[in-house]
Amino acid sequence: MHEFSVMSQIVDAIMEEANKREAKKIEGVTIELGEFTMLGEEQMRFSFEVLAKGTMMEDAVLVFRRTDGEIECACGYRGAMSSSEDAAHGSTLILECPQCGGGANIVGGRECVIRDIKMVVPDV
Amino acid sequence: MDKVLISQVGFSTMHKVVTVDMMKDILSANRKLADQNQALLDEHGIRAFDFLGAIGSGKTLIIERLIDKLKGDGKRCAAIAGDVAGDDDYRRFSAHGVAAENISTGKECHLDAHMVDHALERLPLDDLDYVFVENVGNLVCPVDFPLGSHKRVVVISVTEGDDMVRKHPAIFAFSDVVVINKVDLADAMEVDPDSLATDARRTNPNAKVVIMNARQGRGIDDLAEALGL
Ligand SMILES: Nc1nc2c(ncn2[C@@H]2O[C@H](COP(=O)(O)OP(=O)(O)OP(=O)(O)O)[C@@H](O)[C@H]2O)c(=O)[nH]1
Ligand SMILES: [Mg+2]
Ligand SMILES: [Zn+2]
Ligand SMILES: [Zn+2]
Ligand SMILES: [Zn+2]
Repeated sequence: MHEFSVMSQIVDAIMEEANKREAKKIEGVTIELGEFTMLGEEQMRFSFEVLAKGTMMEDAVLVFRRTDGEIECACGYRGAMSSSEDAAHGSTLILECPQCGGGANIVGGRECVIRDIKMVVPDV
Repeated sequence: MDKVLISQVGFSTMHKVVTVDMMKDILSANRKLADQNQALLDEHGIRAFDFLGAIGSGKTLIIERLIDKLKGDGKRCAAIAGDVAGDDDYRRFSAHGVAAENISTGKECHLDAHMVDHALERLPLDDLDYVFVENVGNLVCPVDFPLGSHKRVVVISVTEGDDMVRKHPAIFAFSDVVVINKVDLADAMEVDPDSLATDARRTNPNAKVVIMNARQGRGIDDLAEALGL
C-alpha cells in the first residue's frame, strides 16, 4: 500500500543522479525487491507511470528482480528459508531452520534497491 | 557502452548511453533512523514496544491495560498513537495520566521511524521507563518500516477469522509476540484461538503467543511476562 511513497523516493533518487550527470533522458532502471518486502511489482509500476509522466524518465523501461531472503539460526545455518509449500497451507513464510528445526531470524531480503540506471548523458 | 548520435533522439550534441551502478537501498534510510531511535531510547534506559495488528483488534485497549498494570508497579509509561486521522487513541492513552503523543499519518498506511523520532522529541524521555507505540491498524505495510522499538507485538482477534496468520505471514515473522485477542468471542465467531496460535508458531517458532481477552483483562500478565515487564 506504500508503493507510491517508496516509488517517489526512487524517482527522486534517479532524478538526483540524473541531474548530477546532466542526463537528458533515462532509458531504464533496474530495481531489486527483497523476498521479505511487502512491495508489489504491479503497484510499483503503476506508481512509476504516474510519477514519471512528463519527465525525462517517462519512457524508461523498469526491470524488477526479486532477491532471495536469507535467514539465520543459532545452530549456524545461514541461507534460504525451508521450502514452505504444503497442501494444507499453500505457500507461506516459515521461519523454521531447515537444518535443526529451530526458530530462525530474517537477516536479508528486506531491501528495495535501485541496482542501476541507464541514462543518456553528454559525451565529454 | 553504446554511443548514440543525439540528432536521433533530438539533442544537438554528442551523447552516450551509460549504465550507472547505484546499489541504493531505499528502505535503508528508515532502518538507519530506527536504529537511531533505539539508541536514543537506550541512552535514556527506556524500553519501547511496538504494537501492530489488524484494525480494531484491540491494540489500544491492550496498551491501556498494560499502562494501568505498570503504573500500579510504580513504572513511568508513555504512549505514541499512530492513526491515519483523528486523535481518539491519543485521548484514550492520555486519560490514563501518562505522557502521550499523537501521530496522524495523513495518507500513509503505517508509521515510519522518522515520525516516531519526532514524537520521541516531544516526550519527557528522562522521566520514562517504557514507551508504547501503536501503529496504524494494518497487517501489511509496517513490515517494511521498523521503528526502533525493542520488541514488536502483533495483535489479532478471533473476529477477523481463522485465516489471519496464513494470509499475512510476514507480519508474524516480523514480530516477537503474537496476541490472539477477544477470545471471549471465539464461540460466537466459531474460530478456534488454538488454531491461530498453531499457525503463528509455525510461521515464527521464536514468537511468544499470548491468548487474551483484553476486555476482562485476561492474559495481560502473560503479555507482560512475554515482554519482560
Ligand atoms: N469482546 C471483546 N472486545 C474487545 C476486546 N479487546 C478489545 N475489544 C473491543 O474492540 C474494539 C476495538 O478495540 P481497540 O482497542 O480500539 O482496537 P484497536 O486495535 O486499537 O483499533 P484501531 O486503532 O482502530 O485499529 C473496542 O470496542 C474494544 O472495547 C476483547 O478482548 N473482547
Ligand atoms: Mg487503536
Ligand atoms: Zn503502506
Ligand atoms: Zn538451526
Ligand atoms: Zn523531520
